[in-house]
Amino acid sequence: MTALLEVRNLRVDFGGFTAVDGVDFDVAEGELLGIVGESGSGKSVSMLAVMGLIDAPGVVTADAVRFAGHDLLAMSPAQRRRHIGKDIAMVFQDALNSLNPSHTVGDQVREVLRVHLGLRGAALETRVLELFELVEIPAARQRLRSFPHQMSGGMNQRVMIAMAIACQPRLLIADEPTTALDVTIQAQVMDLLSRLQREQGLSLVLITHDLAVVAEMASIVRHSVAVMYAGQVVETGSVDSLFDSPRHPYTAALLDALPEHNRGARRLAALPGIVPGRHDRPRGCLLAPRCPRVQVRCVGERPALLDGVRCFFPVTHG
Amino acid sequence: MSTLTPLAERLPADTAPPSPWREFVAAFAANRGATIAFFVFVAVVLGALFAPWLAPHDPLQQFRDHMLTPPLWQAGGLAQFPLGTDELGRCLLSRLLHGARVSLLIGFSAVTLALLPGVVLGLVAAFGKGWLSAAIMRLMDVLLALPGLLLAIGVISILGPGLVNTVIAIAVGALPGYVRLTRGAALAELAKDYVTASRVAGAGRLRLMFDTVLPNCLGPLIINATLGFSSAILETAALGFLGLGVQPPLPEWGSMLSAARDYIERAPWVVTMPGLSILGTVLAINLMGDGLRDALDPKLRQAS
Amino acid sequence: MDKPPALRAEGLARHYEVSRGFLRGHASVKALNGVSFELAAGRTLAVVGESGCGKSTLARQLTLIEPPTAGALFLDGADAARADAATLKRLRQRVQMVFQNPYASLNPRKTIAAALAEPLVINTALAKAERGARVAQMLQRVGLRPEHAARYPHMFSGGQRQRVAVARAMMLQPAVVVADEPTSALDVSIQAQILNLFMDLQEATGTAYVFISHNLAVVEHVAHDVMVMYFGSAVEQGPKARVLGAPLHPYTRALLSAVPALRAPDRRTHVPLQGEMPSPLAPPGGCAFHTRCPLVQARCREQAPALRELDGRRVACHVVAG
Repeated sequence: MTALLEVRNLRVDFGGFTAVDGVDFDVAEGELLGIVGESGSGKSVSMLAVMGLIDAPGVVTADAVRFAGHDLLAMSPAQRRRHIGKDIAMVFQDALNSLNPSHTVGDQVREVLRVHLGLRGAALETRVLELFELVEIPAARQRLRSFPHQMSGGMNQRVMIAMAIACQPRLLIADEPTTALDVTIQAQVMDLLSRLQREQGLSLVLITHDLAVVAEMASIVRHSVAVMYAGQVVETGSVDSLFDSPRHPYTAALLDALPEHNRGARRLAALPGIVPGRHDRPRGCLLAPRCPRVQVRCVGERPALLDGVRCFFPVTHG
Repeated sequence: MSTLTPLAERLPADTAPPSPWREFVAAFAANRGATIAFFVFVAVVLGALFAPWLAPHDPLQQFRDHMLTPPLWQAGGLAQFPLGTDELGRCLLSRLLHGARVSLLIGFSAVTLALLPGVVLGLVAAFGKGWLSAAIMRLMDVLLALPGLLLAIGVISILGPGLVNTVIAIAVGALPGYVRLTRGAALAELAKDYVTASRVAGAGRLRLMFDTVLPNCLGPLIINATLGFSSAILETAALGFLGLGVQPPLPEWGSMLSAARDYIERAPWVVTMPGLSILGTVLAINLMGDGLRDALDPKLRQAS
Repeated sequence: MDKPPALRAEGLARHYEVSRGFLRGHASVKALNGVSFELAAGRTLAVVGESGCGKSTLARQLTLIEPPTAGALFLDGADAARADAATLKRLRQRVQMVFQNPYASLNPRKTIAAALAEPLVINTALAKAERGARVAQMLQRVGLRPEHAARYPHMFSGGQRQRVAVARAMMLQPAVVVADEPTSALDVSIQAQILNLFMDLQEATGTAYVFISHNLAVVEHVAHDVMVMYFGSAVEQGPKARVLGAPLHPYTRALLSAVPALRAPDRRTHVPLQGEMPSPLAPPGGCAFHTRCPLVQARCREQAPALRELDGRRVACHVVAG
């Protein structure tokens, strides 16, 4: 069965700096893809590239970016716009910055419905109210008239989700949707996303740096997780295989650095150094300067992604 | 097991990164218009500075035998007077060079006279308690209610015309702008954590104002001061044109324009030369200011 | 225990007058509503809570930026709430702060050296050479190199800036450091480095920390004592093992259950909390949590519960500790 979203060898360059370096993704119908990484990993940029939201001087190339069989990169911007927003929707991190401060939240959802579904009048109003109730915004009818700054972060995030699912998309991309929210609100929003995914059969791409968030969402649905570092995918697998027996040293280090993994220890197992920036990309493996398992081969050659892990000397278990 | 030790902490670009000054110069130089404008401006400044030595004649000396001589490249022009003479036989080039001194001097003095108290008042308004801040801003609102040139004319009519009073008149008009700008910029910075960090370290109000916050407000201030320089020159010329600014026989571009009004058809160079000088200088300063803004802003954005 | 605590707060409260608009008078916002705790040298008190719970206001009180509206704050033998300007100046050296956002807490126009020397310039009479030596020493202590001192903040990464921020806080060798979400803006691997730095410094210098964080895993790692705040008051406080290990207050329980867990066995069923924290301009009567509490009773709507000792910690709840 062909995947709903197929990305092959995606590359994004910003004037000599490669933010995303040959990345492959597959998302099947109704599946969850978790993309995990820290800042500088390229996780957000790769999804923005898929959505066609990278402007000059960024250059996006790929062997294929196929959504339901259509090649998104080969389309004209006008054609792509018919898919993006309707069949593929995106939810961002900071809802307050992503919503228009001069329009009521009701108007912003109405706009999406007007442009993509051509709804008007009574049908429009019914659908808007329906959506607000679907995303569990209390006192929905009054809230339609509120401005983003009058509502809390959690509420604004729900409005963003309402806008995203308004046209019943087949794929929802959520870029750090709960990072800016309090823990209890985060739990509410994650529960909402899970519920929507189950009820509407959405495919969901969840971009986050929080491994636990992915773990909880992935526990109840068909899924795969990709770990990214400095623009490359370094390991893929299911949540259980990744978090119980990580094969790539970076995944292992990421897990080791979590306070949850160091119960009782005074010090955390921290990976030294920082993600390579523009000026100090290593010639060999990108993790080599920081890797505790580095060998001579790693410094000279870049490993390819083989059998779900990009490493010459992956961690073995059992 | 590993045969190599991981590299220690490294800076993003570990070879000594460019100093902020060098980054700024590079950004400014990338803007061709601004760089050309900068050199034009430098030429004007040098011309003004060395006017007594560069000018072929005394700007006040009248050559009765050579009144309204055309410039060098026109029929009837003389090498003795490269840009011709005015209606009283005074060398135009010499008058322009000395006039540059007057314009630049007034421009610089007026901006400084407005900028220094403006910055202090703006900081006091941003840091001060309710009534003081409100009093300062309302006073500035009163000044802003009058259009710049009218305000200058008003001040001149109280103080009388002349070089010093022109400077005062222009400065009074420019003051509210700097106060508002400084206050706005300072208020924006006050909300930031690094100011709180200085307070926690024990910084008193004076240190917070001048050592912590002010350096971060300089960007827009420098840009506005540069553009203020050019509008000061324009205002000087306008006041001179109206006979209210610098008084004859002191050469000043605006009053030279005014005196030559009657000769536009007969001897256009007496009008065009001062006019072009004003145009050229103001344009150069404005382009430089734009270049400054472009060079400073991205760095400010990058720094935040 | 003969040594006095490094910091002792008694009934700290902070109210703000907020204008309700033209001619509509003022409302009193109780940002902080009577918080008390004791912090011994070398120990860490974690303050846990969500937005609007008052932890930022508490941070401002503890670092002496704002005077409290009521209550007392004992530091270095004096009550900071009632101190005169000279005493405050002395006391300020005993409490320093590390901020959340590494990109906003350093002055963009000052070199690292200038930023680190500033507390010394303001509070000591050290000569320039001596100041330079201390700056270099502190830079090495936090894992940076002395040649980094001449550079500007924008040349450093978030983690490195946070190291500078920690260095700055330690320059005056304070008795207490208030850390306001110091690792929330950092990646996991950098967070681990910075947390290790905090722990190492505490062991070496005996500094006490007030560690504000919404990340319960981090709190679990660094804290000795935990104080859970909601709507301006402490709802549960005590040793970490008690508050996080066997939480009693319904809010603490909801908070802990909401934290996503990596491993299936660690996962708790979410205790769903409906709605959001009430607006401080319209405080609910009685217990502030009653609008969202799964255990709410009639009494909760009328009377605010006081903190009571129960099972090795203090809880403010009628139902649990009534």
